[in-house]
Amino acid sequence: MTPMAHEEARDSLEALALDALDENERGVVLAHVSGCAICQQEVAALQATAAKLSYAVQPVPMPAPQRDRIRARLLGRVVADRKHAAEVNPSASSVILVPNHGTARHASRHWLESPASWIAMAASLVAAVSLATLYQVTVERDNIRRTYQYVTGRPSQVDSLRAALEDRDRLIANLTGPQVAVVTLTSEGVRAPSARMFWNQTVNAWTFVAHNLPAPKAGRTYQLWLVTAKDKISAGTFSPNASGDAVVRATYNLPKDALAAVAVTDEPSAGSAQPTTTPFIVGTSGTR
Amino acid sequence: MPVDDTVLMRRMVEGDEQALAAFYDRWNSLVHAVVLRILRHRDDVEDVVEEVFWQAWRQANRYVATRGSVQTWLLTIARSRALDRARATKRLREDPLEIESGDAVVQQVSEGDASTDAEFAERRVIVVAALADLPPEQREALEMGYYSGLSQSEIAERTGQPLGTIKTRMRLAMQKLKGRLQVLREDAR
Repeated sequence: MTPMAHEEARDSLEALALDALDENERGVVLAHVSGCAICQQEVAALQATAAKLSYAVQPVPMPAPQRDRIRARLLGRVVADRKHAAEVNPSASSVILVPNHGTARHASRHWLESPASWIAMAASLVAAVSLATLYQVTVERDNIRRTYQYVTGRPSQVDSLRAALEDRDRLIANLTGPQVAVVTLTSEGVRAPSARMFWNQTVNAWTFVAHNLPAPKAGRTYQLWLVTAKDKISAGTFSPNASGDAVVRATYNLPKDALAAVAVTDEPSAGSAQPTTTPFIVGTSGTR
Repeated sequence: MPVDDTVLMRRMVEGDEQALAAFYDRWNSLVHAVVLRILRHRDDVEDVVEEVFWQAWRQANRYVATRGSVQTWLLTIARSRALDRARATKRLREDPLEIESGDAVVQQVSEGDASTDAEFAERRVIVVAALADLPPEQREALEMGYYSGLSQSEIAERTGQPLGTIKTRMRLAMQKLKGRLQVLREDAR
Protein backbone atom coordinates (compact mmCIF):
# COMPACT_ATOMS: atom_id res chain seq x y z
CA MET A 1 0.00 0.00 0.00
CA THR A 2 1.48 3.31 -1.07
CA PRO A 3 1.47 5.90 1.73
CA MET A 4 -0.74 8.89 1.13
CA ALA A 5 0.57 12.45 1.47
CA HIS A 6 -1.02 14.58 4.16
CA GLU A 7 -2.58 17.03 1.71
CA GLU A 8 -4.08 14.23 -0.33
CA ALA A 9 -5.44 12.47 2.74
CA ARG A 10 -6.80 15.74 4.06
CA ASP A 11 -9.00 16.09 0.99
CA SER A 12 -10.60 12.72 1.69
CA LEU A 13 -11.46 13.19 5.35
CA GLU A 14 -14.97 14.48 4.66
CA ALA A 15 -15.77 11.38 2.64
CA LEU A 16 -14.17 9.22 5.31
CA ALA A 17 -16.44 10.76 7.95
CA LEU A 18 -19.45 10.03 5.75
CA ASP A 19 -18.22 6.48 5.11
CA ALA A 20 -18.32 7.30 1.40
CA LEU A 21 -14.83 6.21 0.35
CA ASP A 22 -14.24 3.15 -1.77
CA GLU A 23 -12.75 0.32 0.20
CA ASN A 24 -9.23 0.57 -1.17
CA GLU A 25 -9.06 4.33 -0.79
CA ARG A 26 -10.50 4.05 2.71
CA GLY A 27 -7.66 1.78 3.72
CA VAL A 28 -5.02 4.17 2.40
CA VAL A 29 -6.62 7.19 4.07
CA LEU A 30 -7.03 5.36 7.36
CA ALA A 31 -3.38 4.33 7.24
CA HIS A 32 -2.41 7.99 7.09
CA VAL A 33 -4.93 9.11 9.69
CA SER A 34 -3.75 6.51 12.17
CA GLY A 35 -0.41 8.29 12.35
CA CYS A 36 -1.51 11.90 11.92
CA ALA A 37 -2.84 13.76 14.94
CA ILE A 38 -4.04 16.67 12.81
CA CYS A 39 -6.15 14.41 10.61
CA GLN A 40 -7.45 12.48 13.61
CA GLN A 41 -8.74 15.70 15.13
CA GLU A 42 -10.34 16.76 11.87
CA VAL A 43 -11.98 13.38 11.33
CA ALA A 44 -13.45 13.51 14.82
CA ALA A 45 -14.95 16.93 14.10
CA LEU A 46 -16.32 15.80 10.75
CA GLN A 47 -17.79 12.64 12.23
CA ALA A 48 -19.54 14.73 14.86
CA THR A 49 -20.95 16.85 12.05
CA ALA A 50 -22.07 13.81 10.08
CA ALA A 51 -23.78 12.36 13.14
CA LYS A 52 -26.00 15.43 13.36
CA LEU A 53 -27.34 15.03 9.84
CA SER A 54 -29.94 12.55 11.01
CA TYR A 55 -31.72 15.41 12.74
CA ALA A 56 -32.87 16.56 9.34
CA VAL A 57 -35.25 13.66 9.11
CA GLN A 58 -38.81 14.35 10.14
CA PRO A 59 -39.97 11.79 12.72
CA VAL A 60 -42.33 9.28 11.16
CA PRO A 61 -44.66 7.52 13.59
CA MET A 62 -44.95 3.82 12.93
CA PRO A 63 -48.35 2.22 12.48
CA ALA A 64 -49.53 1.25 15.94
CA PRO A 65 -49.49 -2.53 15.32
CA GLN A 66 -45.92 -2.37 14.04
CA ARG A 67 -44.81 -0.10 16.85
CA ASP A 68 -46.40 -2.33 19.49
CA ARG A 69 -45.05 -5.49 17.86
CA ILE A 70 -41.47 -4.24 18.02
CA ARG A 71 -41.95 -3.07 21.60
CA ALA A 72 -43.28 -6.45 22.66
CA ARG A 73 -40.44 -8.28 20.91
CA LEU A 74 -37.83 -6.08 22.56
CA LEU A 75 -39.20 -6.69 26.03
CA GLY A 76 -39.55 -10.38 25.23
CA ARG A 77 -35.90 -10.49 24.22
CA VAL A 78 -34.91 -8.88 27.48
CA VAL A 79 -36.77 -11.54 29.44
CA ALA A 80 -35.38 -14.37 27.31
CA ASP A 81 -31.89 -12.96 27.54
CA ARG A 82 -32.14 -12.68 31.30
CA LYS A 83 -33.49 -16.22 31.60
CA HIS A 84 -30.72 -17.56 29.41
CA ALA A 85 -28.08 -15.74 31.44
CA ALA A 86 -29.55 -17.10 34.68
CA GLU A 87 -29.47 -20.64 33.33
CA VAL A 88 -25.97 -20.51 31.95
CA ASN A 89 -24.31 -18.33 34.53
CA PRO A 90 -26.29 -17.93 37.73
CA SER A 91 -25.59 -14.63 39.39
CA ALA A 92 -24.47 -14.22 42.93
CA SER A 93 -27.50 -12.23 43.86
CA SER A 94 -29.93 -14.88 42.72
CA VAL A 95 -28.64 -17.76 44.74
CA ILE A 96 -30.29 -19.41 47.67
CA LEU A 97 -30.02 -22.99 48.84
CA VAL A 98 -29.42 -25.33 51.65
CA PRO A 99 -28.68 -28.99 51.16
CA ASN A 100 -29.87 -31.66 53.51
CA HIS A 101 -27.39 -34.43 53.09
CA GLY A 102 -25.30 -36.60 55.26
CA THR A 103 -22.06 -34.89 54.49
CA ALA A 104 -23.22 -31.65 55.95
CA ARG A 105 -24.91 -33.30 58.89
CA HIS A 106 -22.11 -35.58 59.96
CA ALA A 107 -18.88 -33.91 59.09
CA SER A 108 -17.10 -32.12 61.85
CA ARG A 109 -16.22 -28.45 61.63
CA HIS A 110 -12.56 -29.39 61.44
CA TRP A 111 -12.61 -28.96 57.64
CA LEU A 112 -13.26 -25.26 58.11
CA GLU A 113 -9.76 -24.85 59.35
CA SER A 114 -8.02 -27.53 57.30
CA PRO A 115 -8.33 -27.95 53.54
CA ALA A 116 -6.74 -31.34 53.98
CA SER A 117 -9.89 -32.53 55.69
CA TRP A 118 -11.93 -31.52 52.63
CA ILE A 119 -9.69 -33.63 50.49
CA ALA A 120 -9.96 -36.63 52.78
CA MET A 121 -13.72 -36.32 52.83
CA ALA A 122 -13.94 -36.16 49.07
CA ALA A 123 -11.78 -39.19 48.64
CA SER A 124 -14.22 -41.24 50.69
CA LEU A 125 -17.18 -40.48 48.47
CA VAL A 126 -18.15 -42.01 45.17
CA ALA A 127 -20.67 -40.70 42.66
CA ALA A 128 -21.13 -40.55 38.94
CA VAL A 129 -21.60 -37.25 37.19
CA SER A 130 -23.59 -37.18 33.99
CA LEU A 131 -22.19 -35.40 30.99
CA ALA A 132 -25.71 -34.61 29.90
CA THR A 133 -24.87 -30.94 30.28
CA LEU A 134 -22.14 -31.21 27.67
CA TYR A 135 -24.58 -32.96 25.35
CA GLN A 136 -27.17 -30.28 26.00
CA VAL A 137 -24.73 -27.46 25.31
CA THR A 138 -23.58 -29.15 22.12
CA VAL A 139 -27.18 -29.54 20.93
CA GLU A 140 -27.85 -25.89 21.78
CA ARG A 141 -24.76 -24.85 19.89
CA ASP A 142 -25.80 -26.84 16.82
CA ASN A 143 -29.31 -25.40 16.94
CA ILE A 144 -27.93 -21.89 17.15
CA ARG A 145 -25.56 -22.59 14.28
CA ARG A 146 -28.41 -23.80 12.08
CA THR A 147 -30.48 -20.76 12.99
CA TYR A 148 -27.50 -18.53 12.33
CA GLN A 149 -27.09 -19.99 8.86
CA TYR A 150 -30.80 -19.51 8.25
CA VAL A 151 -30.85 -15.87 9.22
CA THR A 152 -27.65 -14.72 7.58
CA GLY A 153 -29.90 -12.82 5.19
CA ARG A 154 -31.48 -11.11 8.19
CA PRO A 155 -28.57 -9.24 9.74
CA SER A 156 -30.78 -7.86 12.49
CA GLN A 157 -30.64 -11.19 14.26
CA VAL A 158 -27.12 -12.14 13.38
CA ASP A 159 -25.26 -10.28 16.10
CA SER A 160 -27.13 -11.83 19.00
CA LEU A 161 -26.98 -15.29 17.45
CA ARG A 162 -23.29 -14.96 16.76
CA ALA A 163 -22.69 -13.98 20.36
CA ALA A 164 -24.72 -16.95 21.60
CA LEU A 165 -22.86 -19.29 19.24
CA GLU A 166 -19.48 -18.02 20.36
CA ASP A 167 -20.55 -18.42 23.97
CA ARG A 168 -21.50 -22.06 23.39
CA ASP A 169 -18.26 -22.69 21.50
CA ARG A 170 -16.28 -21.24 24.40
CA LEU A 171 -18.22 -23.36 26.85
CA ILE A 172 -17.62 -26.52 24.85
CA ALA A 173 -13.93 -25.69 24.54
CA ASN A 174 -13.77 -25.18 28.29
CA LEU A 175 -15.37 -28.56 28.85
CA THR A 176 -13.44 -30.58 26.29
CA GLY A 177 -10.21 -28.79 25.42
CA PRO A 178 -6.83 -30.56 25.61
CA GLN A 179 -5.72 -28.49 28.59
CA VAL A 180 -8.87 -29.06 30.61
CA ALA A 181 -8.45 -30.61 34.04
CA VAL A 182 -11.53 -32.28 35.52
CA VAL A 183 -12.44 -32.52 39.17
CA THR A 184 -15.33 -34.77 40.16
CA LEU A 185 -17.27 -33.66 43.21
CA THR A 186 -19.28 -36.17 45.20
CA SER A 187 -21.74 -36.32 48.04
CA GLU A 188 -23.94 -38.78 49.96
CA GLY A 189 -27.61 -39.61 49.97
CA VAL A 190 -30.24 -41.45 47.96
CA ARG A 191 -30.41 -38.73 45.35
CA ALA A 192 -27.11 -37.15 46.10
CA PRO A 193 -25.95 -34.07 44.26
CA SER A 194 -23.02 -34.56 41.97
CA ALA A 195 -20.84 -32.20 40.02
CA ARG A 196 -17.77 -31.74 37.92
CA MET A 197 -15.45 -28.81 37.64
CA PHE A 198 -13.79 -28.30 34.25
CA TRP A 199 -10.67 -26.15 34.46
CA ASN A 200 -9.42 -24.93 31.08
CA GLN A 201 -5.87 -24.16 32.12
CA THR A 202 -5.07 -22.45 28.82
CA VAL A 203 -7.40 -19.55 29.52
CA ASN A 204 -8.01 -20.12 33.25
CA ALA A 205 -11.70 -20.69 32.62
CA TRP A 206 -13.61 -22.67 35.25
CA THR A 207 -16.90 -24.35 34.40
CA PHE A 208 -18.79 -26.02 37.22
CA VAL A 209 -21.63 -28.36 36.27
CA ALA A 210 -23.86 -29.84 38.97
CA HIS A 211 -26.93 -32.05 39.11
CA ASN A 212 -29.51 -33.10 41.70
CA LEU A 213 -28.98 -30.06 43.83
CA PRO A 214 -31.74 -29.54 46.37
CA ALA A 215 -33.62 -26.30 46.55
CA PRO A 216 -32.01 -23.87 48.97
CA LYS A 217 -33.71 -22.49 52.01
CA ALA A 218 -34.79 -18.87 52.08
CA GLY A 219 -31.97 -16.48 52.78
CA ARG A 220 -29.27 -18.99 51.90
CA THR A 221 -27.18 -19.66 48.81
CA TYR A 222 -24.62 -22.10 47.49
CA GLN A 223 -21.04 -20.96 47.24
CA LEU A 224 -18.34 -22.58 45.16
CA TRP A 225 -14.75 -22.73 46.47
CA LEU A 226 -11.38 -23.42 44.93
CA VAL A 227 -9.26 -24.92 47.68
CA THR A 228 -5.49 -24.67 47.72
CA ALA A 229 -3.07 -25.73 50.44
CA LYS A 230 -3.34 -22.28 51.99
CA ASP A 231 -6.58 -20.70 50.83
CA LYS A 232 -10.21 -21.23 50.08
CA ILE A 233 -11.01 -18.99 47.12
CA SER A 234 -14.60 -18.12 46.33
CA ALA A 235 -15.61 -18.86 42.73
CA GLY A 236 -19.04 -17.34 43.23
CA THR A 237 -22.46 -18.13 44.56
CA PHE A 238 -25.21 -19.80 42.58
CA SER A 239 -28.60 -21.44 42.62
CA PRO A 240 -29.81 -24.50 40.72
CA ASN A 241 -32.70 -24.44 38.29
CA ALA A 242 -35.98 -26.22 38.92
CA SER A 243 -34.45 -29.52 37.82
CA GLY A 244 -31.63 -29.20 40.33
CA ASP A 245 -29.01 -28.45 37.69
CA ALA A 246 -26.54 -25.58 37.79
CA VAL A 247 -23.69 -24.27 35.68
CA VAL A 248 -21.25 -21.74 37.09
CA ARG A 249 -18.60 -20.13 34.95
CA ALA A 250 -15.68 -18.19 36.32
CA THR A 251 -12.23 -17.02 35.32
CA TYR A 252 -9.43 -17.25 37.87
CA ASN A 253 -5.71 -17.54 37.39
CA LEU A 254 -4.39 -20.38 39.53
CA PRO A 255 -1.05 -22.18 39.15
CA LYS A 256 -1.60 -25.61 37.62
CA ASP A 257 -0.39 -27.52 40.67
CA ALA A 258 -2.06 -25.29 43.25
CA LEU A 259 -5.58 -26.72 43.24
CA ALA A 260 -6.21 -29.18 46.04
CA ALA A 261 -9.98 -29.47 45.93
CA VAL A 262 -13.25 -27.96 44.79
CA ALA A 263 -16.13 -27.66 47.22
CA VAL A 264 -19.61 -26.23 47.62
CA THR A 265 -20.97 -24.88 50.87
CA ASP A 266 -24.24 -23.46 52.07
CA GLU A 267 -23.87 -19.79 52.91
CA PRO A 268 -25.97 -16.70 53.65
CA SER A 269 -27.54 -15.26 50.50
CA ALA A 270 -24.89 -12.57 50.13
CA GLY A 271 -22.14 -15.17 50.15
CA SER A 272 -19.25 -15.39 52.58
CA ALA A 273 -15.64 -14.29 52.50
CA GLN A 274 -14.68 -17.71 53.86
CA PRO A 275 -16.77 -20.88 54.26
CA THR A 276 -19.00 -20.89 57.32
CA THR A 277 -20.45 -24.40 56.93
CA THR A 278 -19.22 -27.84 56.07
CA PRO A 279 -19.15 -28.49 52.32
CA PHE A 280 -21.91 -30.83 51.25
CA ILE A 281 -20.22 -31.67 47.97
CA VAL A 282 -16.50 -31.77 47.39
CA GLY A 283 -13.91 -33.17 45.00
CA THR A 284 -10.14 -33.41 45.00
CA SER A 285 -7.91 -32.26 42.21
CA GLY A 286 -7.00 -35.03 39.80
CA THR A 287 -10.28 -36.96 39.99
CA ARG A 288 -11.82 -37.54 36.58
CA MET B 1 -42.05 15.81 33.47
CA PRO B 2 -40.26 13.40 31.14
CA VAL B 3 -37.26 11.50 32.43
CA ASP B 4 -33.94 12.57 30.93
CA ASP B 5 -32.36 10.27 28.40
CA THR B 6 -29.28 9.95 30.55
CA VAL B 7 -31.41 8.71 33.43
CA LEU B 8 -33.07 6.18 31.14
CA MET B 9 -29.66 5.10 29.91
CA ARG B 10 -28.42 4.58 33.44
CA ARG B 11 -31.48 2.52 34.27
CA MET B 12 -30.95 0.48 31.12
CA VAL B 13 -27.40 -0.24 32.17
CA GLU B 14 -28.83 -1.49 35.46
CA GLY B 15 -31.12 -3.85 33.56
CA ASP B 16 -34.41 -2.00 33.97
CA GLU B 17 -36.50 -3.05 30.98
CA GLN B 18 -39.11 -0.40 31.79
CA ALA B 19 -36.44 2.15 30.98
CA LEU B 20 -35.97 0.46 27.60
CA ALA B 21 -39.72 0.65 27.06
CA ALA B 22 -39.74 4.36 27.90
CA PHE B 23 -36.69 4.96 25.71
CA TYR B 24 -38.37 3.15 22.83
CA ASP B 25 -41.62 5.06 23.30
CA ARG B 26 -39.72 8.33 23.19
CA TRP B 27 -37.55 7.72 20.17
CA ASN B 28 -39.15 5.07 17.98
CA SER B 29 -40.65 7.60 15.56
CA LEU B 30 -37.30 9.23 14.97
CA VAL B 31 -35.36 6.01 14.62
CA HIS B 32 -38.09 4.76 12.31
CA ALA B 33 -37.71 7.87 10.19
CA VAL B 34 -33.93 7.47 9.86
CA VAL B 35 -34.22 3.80 9.00
CA LEU B 36 -37.09 4.44 6.63
CA ARG B 37 -34.99 7.06 4.88
CA ILE B 38 -32.36 4.46 4.06
CA LEU B 39 -34.36 1.27 3.57
CA ARG B 40 -37.29 0.61 1.34
CA HIS B 41 -38.80 -2.69 2.41
CA ARG B 42 -41.15 -2.74 5.38
CA ASP B 43 -39.78 -5.97 6.81
CA ASP B 44 -36.25 -4.59 6.66
CA VAL B 45 -37.35 -1.41 8.39
CA GLU B 46 -39.12 -3.25 11.17
CA ASP B 47 -36.18 -5.58 11.77
CA VAL B 48 -33.67 -2.77 11.85
CA VAL B 49 -35.70 -0.54 14.17
CA GLU B 50 -35.88 -3.44 16.60
CA GLU B 51 -32.16 -4.08 16.31
CA VAL B 52 -31.32 -0.43 16.89
CA PHE B 53 -33.10 -0.44 20.24
CA TRP B 54 -31.75 -3.85 21.11
CA GLN B 55 -28.23 -2.60 20.47
CA ALA B 56 -28.97 0.49 22.59
CA TRP B 57 -30.13 -1.79 25.40
CA ARG B 58 -27.14 -4.11 25.16
CA GLN B 59 -24.57 -1.36 24.72
CA ALA B 60 -26.00 1.34 26.95
CA ASN B 61 -22.92 0.98 29.13
CA ARG B 62 -20.76 2.06 26.19
CA TYR B 63 -22.45 5.41 25.83
CA VAL B 64 -20.12 8.21 26.87
CA ALA B 65 -21.95 11.41 27.68
CA THR B 66 -18.97 13.65 26.99
CA ARG B 67 -18.87 12.49 23.38
CA GLY B 68 -22.35 13.65 22.52
CA SER B 69 -26.01 13.46 23.25
CA VAL B 70 -27.98 10.27 23.64
CA GLN B 71 -30.01 11.25 20.60
CA THR B 72 -26.96 11.55 18.38
CA TRP B 73 -25.62 8.25 19.71
CA LEU B 74 -28.91 6.53 18.97
CA LEU B 75 -29.26 8.05 15.51
CA THR B 76 -25.72 7.02 14.65
CA ILE B 77 -26.61 3.45 15.57
CA ALA B 78 -29.78 3.71 13.49
CA ARG B 79 -27.93 4.89 10.41
CA SER B 80 -25.19 2.28 10.77
CA ARG B 81 -27.60 -0.62 11.20
CA ALA B 82 -29.76 0.57 8.32
CA LEU B 83 -26.77 0.90 6.02
CA ASP B 84 -25.53 -2.54 7.07
CA ARG B 85 -28.88 -3.98 6.07
CA ALA B 86 -29.02 -1.97 2.86
CA ARG B 87 -25.57 -3.11 1.81
CA ALA B 88 -26.34 -6.71 2.69
CA THR B 89 -29.55 -6.77 0.72
CA LYS B 90 -28.64 -4.23 -1.96
CA ARG B 91 -31.95 -2.57 -1.25
CA LEU B 92 -31.38 1.12 -0.87
CA ARG B 93 -33.75 3.97 -1.18
CA GLU B 94 -32.32 6.36 -3.68
CA ASP B 95 -34.94 9.04 -3.81
CA PRO B 96 -33.65 12.39 -2.62
CA LEU B 97 -34.39 13.72 0.83
CA GLU B 98 -37.08 16.34 0.73
CA ILE B 99 -35.44 19.22 2.48
CA GLU B 100 -37.96 21.53 4.02
CA SER B 101 -37.42 25.20 4.46
CA GLY B 102 -36.34 26.45 7.83
CA ASP B 103 -39.68 28.26 8.15
CA ALA B 104 -41.61 25.04 7.65
CA VAL B 105 -39.67 23.32 10.40
CA VAL B 106 -40.11 26.27 12.72
CA GLN B 107 -43.85 26.07 12.07
CA GLN B 108 -43.87 22.38 12.98
CA VAL B 109 -41.96 23.05 16.14
CA SER B 110 -44.29 25.81 17.20
CA GLU B 111 -47.21 23.46 16.70
CA GLY B 112 -45.53 20.91 18.91
CA ASP B 113 -44.49 17.37 18.19
CA ALA B 114 -45.53 14.88 20.82
CA SER B 115 -43.17 12.23 19.56
CA THR B 116 -40.00 14.17 20.29
CA ASP B 117 -39.13 17.16 22.40
CA ALA B 118 -38.27 20.79 22.10
CA GLU B 119 -34.52 20.21 22.18
CA PHE B 120 -34.70 17.78 19.31
CA ALA B 121 -36.90 20.12 17.38
CA GLU B 122 -34.45 22.95 17.93
CA ARG B 123 -31.62 20.84 16.60
CA ARG B 124 -33.71 19.88 13.65
CA VAL B 125 -34.38 23.49 12.75
CA ILE B 126 -30.67 24.21 12.67
CA VAL B 127 -29.70 21.13 10.64
CA VAL B 128 -32.50 21.58 8.12
CA ALA B 129 -31.63 25.22 7.67
CA ALA B 130 -27.97 24.37 7.14
CA LEU B 131 -28.81 21.73 4.55
CA ALA B 132 -31.23 24.06 2.81
CA ASP B 133 -28.48 26.61 2.41
CA LEU B 134 -26.21 24.22 0.53
CA PRO B 135 -26.08 24.46 -3.26
CA PRO B 136 -28.33 21.69 -4.65
CA GLU B 137 -25.48 19.77 -6.26
CA GLN B 138 -23.51 19.71 -3.00
CA ARG B 139 -26.56 18.62 -1.03
CA GLU B 140 -27.22 15.87 -3.53
CA ALA B 141 -23.71 14.45 -3.17
CA LEU B 142 -23.94 14.65 0.59
CA GLU B 143 -27.32 12.95 0.75
CA MET B 144 -26.30 10.15 -1.56
CA GLY B 145 -23.32 9.47 0.64
CA TYR B 146 -24.97 9.91 4.03
CA TYR B 147 -28.46 8.53 3.55
CA SER B 148 -27.89 6.04 0.79
CA GLY B 149 -24.47 4.79 1.81
CA LEU B 150 -23.04 5.21 -1.69
CA SER B 151 -19.34 5.68 -2.21
CA GLN B 152 -18.05 8.67 -4.10
CA SER B 153 -17.34 6.60 -7.20
CA GLU B 154 -20.85 5.14 -7.06
CA ILE B 155 -22.28 8.64 -6.78
CA ALA B 156 -20.18 9.76 -9.73
CA GLU B 157 -21.41 6.83 -11.77
CA ARG B 158 -25.05 7.46 -10.94
CA THR B 159 -24.97 11.19 -11.47
CA GLY B 160 -22.72 11.09 -14.51
CA GLN B 161 -20.38 13.57 -12.92
CA PRO B 162 -16.58 13.22 -12.79
CA LEU B 163 -15.30 11.61 -9.58
CA GLY B 164 -13.23 14.69 -8.79
CA THR B 165 -16.34 16.84 -9.01
CA ILE B 166 -18.20 14.63 -6.56
CA LYS B 167 -15.26 14.71 -4.15
CA THR B 168 -15.13 18.47 -4.29
CA ARG B 169 -18.88 18.86 -3.76
CA MET B 170 -18.89 16.50 -0.82
CA ARG B 171 -15.89 18.18 0.76
CA LEU B 172 -17.33 21.67 0.39
CA ALA B 173 -20.70 20.55 1.75
CA MET B 174 -19.18 18.96 4.83
CA GLN B 175 -16.96 21.93 5.57
CA LYS B 176 -19.92 24.30 5.38
CA LEU B 177 -21.99 22.06 7.62
CA LYS B 178 -19.19 21.69 10.10
CA GLY B 179 -19.17 25.43 10.58
CA ARG B 180 -22.93 25.80 10.69
CA LEU B 181 -23.58 22.91 13.05
CA GLN B 182 -21.00 23.88 15.63
CA VAL B 183 -23.73 25.84 17.34
CA LEU B 184 -25.44 22.59 18.27
CA ARG B 185 -24.68 21.67 21.82
CA GLU B 186 -23.93 18.02 22.18
CA ASP B 187 -24.09 17.79 25.91
CA ALA B 188 -25.89 14.81 27.29
CA ARG B 189 -29.34 15.66 28.49
